Amino acid sequence: MDASSLNSAELQRLISQEKERAMMNEMVAKLTSACWDKCITGTPGSKFSSSESSCLSNCAQRYMDMSIIIMKRFQSMQI
Amino acid sequence: MDSFSSPSSGSSSQFSTDEFMDQLKTQLAQAYAEEFLETVRGKCFEKCITKPGSSLSGSESSCISRCVERYIEATGIVSRSLFSAPR
Repeated sequence: MDASSLNSAELQRLISQEKERAMMNEMVAKLTSACWDKCITGTPGSKFSSSESSCLSNCAQRYMDMSIIIMKRFQSMQI
Repeated sequence: MDSFSSPSSGSSSQFSTDEFMDQLKTQLAQAYAEEFLETVRGKCFEKCITKPGSSLSGSESSCISRCVERYIEATGIVSRSLFSAPR
């Protein structure tokens, strides 16, 4: 176990990794919440219907498609 | 283990990188778990407790159990959709 100070480059790198992981978890959480609202309209059953599970899967991917469009649009607007 | 001193003081009680990262990961995991639980509470209350009575009915209880399982499953579906099926 090393005894490096809190300012080492290695520690900063490790913290960046954790930050990246946390941001990905946050995105999954946010998307799951939004897609649940869009796709699970009735009372939860003992398993998902195939339309519910494809809706959830599609929802996530369409959100990513939308993100790309928004970014491109935004970039094309910059002077 | 006593509290860590600030880096600028240069005293002898400093965390190692490993100890610091262990604490950071633990705290992140705890924060994530709390946020997840809060979300599930909200979703399942909305779906399962439509007209609050003087106690939880059997159907409300089973709805809640199924809801928790389905929400966990939904999280897996969304996660796999994002990270293992790129276009």
